[in-house]
Amino acid sequence: MIFDQNTMLILTLIALAILVMQLYMEYRRKPKQAKYIPKELIVCKKCGYEAERDYEPGDFISLVKGKCPKCDGELVIKAIYSVKLEERKT
Amino acid sequence: MATDWVSLATQLIWIVLFILIFTGANQKIQMRLWSYDIRNKLSIIKSYLEQDRVRVEKQLKNLGVKTPDLLIKRAMDFFIIQPVNIEPTDIIKRLEHLIITGDKSFKKMVEQAIPKATKYERSLVETGLSIVGVMNQIYKIVRHYLLSGEKENNWILLMQLEMAMPQIMRIVETYHKSLDAFLTGTPIGDSVGPLVAYKLIELGRVISKKVVEDTSITELWLDDRRIYVIKAEGPGSNVGRPGHVLYDLVEELKGGVDLVITIDAALKLEGEETGEIAEGIGAAIGDPGPEKIAIERATTKYGIPLKALVIKMDLGEAIHIMKKEIYEAGEKALEYVRKIIIESTKPKSTIIVAGIGNTLGVPG
Repeated sequence: MIFDQNTMLILTLIALAILVMQLYMEYRRKPKQAKYIPKELIVCKKCGYEAERDYEPGDFISLVKGKCPKCDGELVIKAIYSVKLEERKT
Repeated sequence: MATDWVSLATQLIWIVLFILIFTGANQKIQMRLWSYDIRNKLSIIKSYLEQDRVRVEKQLKNLGVKTPDLLIKRAMDFFIIQPVNIEPTDIIKRLEHLIITGDKSFKKMVEQAIPKATKYERSLVETGLSIVGVMNQIYKIVRHYLLSGEKENNWILLMQLEMAMPQIMRIVETYHKSLDAFLTGTPIGDSVGPLVAYKLIELGRVISKKVVEDTSITELWLDDRRIYVIKAEGPGSNVGRPGHVLYDLVEELKGGVDLVITIDAALKLEGEETGEIAEGIGAAIGDPGPEKIAIERATTKYGIPLKALVIKMDLGEAIHIMKKEIYEAGEKALEYVRKIIIESTKPKSTIIVAGIGNTLGVPG
């Protein structure tokens, strides 16, 4: 079986196209990892004031974190969780 | 003329291909490619291991350890030999004994190195060292199979390893990232069970509280029922011994318990949503056996209904900083537990609720 130059060129191009497509699909298949940042939800036990702040190492749930800006009551950490970075920007 | 060259080249390619196939050299080339890929991934694992080791070393130095290398080396190679399983008699007792001895020895090792550190700080160091140990174990096993495969020209072994590498890398990356939570003391996904238990304690009127074997038992009154809440003692990195403690509590109450509910994080199947809540029957606890069997034995002995509530997440979510979705699922699970209690028991009943998991960042 003898191929002429044009046929060989077309076959090579098709093979290259398949290879590029495969690589692209493989790249698309890899899920992009979202970035998460830790936050803490603080609440005032007296007036119910709530605020989300950046997490500080060593903090844990129920820890008293200063005074309430509204009623001067105790601010307590209600929750510590991580949130998606993209979500915060939008 | 050009066509002749093309024809010659085509024929040459075919001849080379035939030679490769008949001599098995194609497999050798494939083996080299696999080996090269595994080596690359192994070097990634090694760099992760090194980064984690340095982070734990820094933490130990901050706590006043002058030669953290010695402790890290000792902890990295620490192992527990599984009990004999061809003779099943007493296997749970033997396994429990080995786990407790291993746990105590590891804690003692850390305590001797950092005697002035608090229990909370020690618990974080213990888990940090355990993570480095796991990473080291994975690194050594992958390296062993790679070198064995290369040494024996075992292309099937290398192929299996190459196929398993994506999964191994995912596990390694999961452990590597989990160190963030364990070095700072942030709640992880697995803390959702203790978190629900803690929120339940906050809702009720506390009558008494005691701590047994790193596990807290809080007796409270809620919704006209007596509820005993069992969870690992927080806020350090601790899983406690909820099964053992629950068994003793049921015995102490002489079986006078109307319902036992266990709440735990469960590994979700691919396609399931993170934070999905599911209700079922049985002991929701993922220990090697002794704790789970203790819960089953206690409830079976006295015919106490045993219910389970699980919050779904994947391995990464279970050992990384708790996601907001999981925290919100915990809030829902709290209401779910109360609903189960009200539906399944009459007023003045006695119920045991066990929040299973690592209580990192969750007090009580």
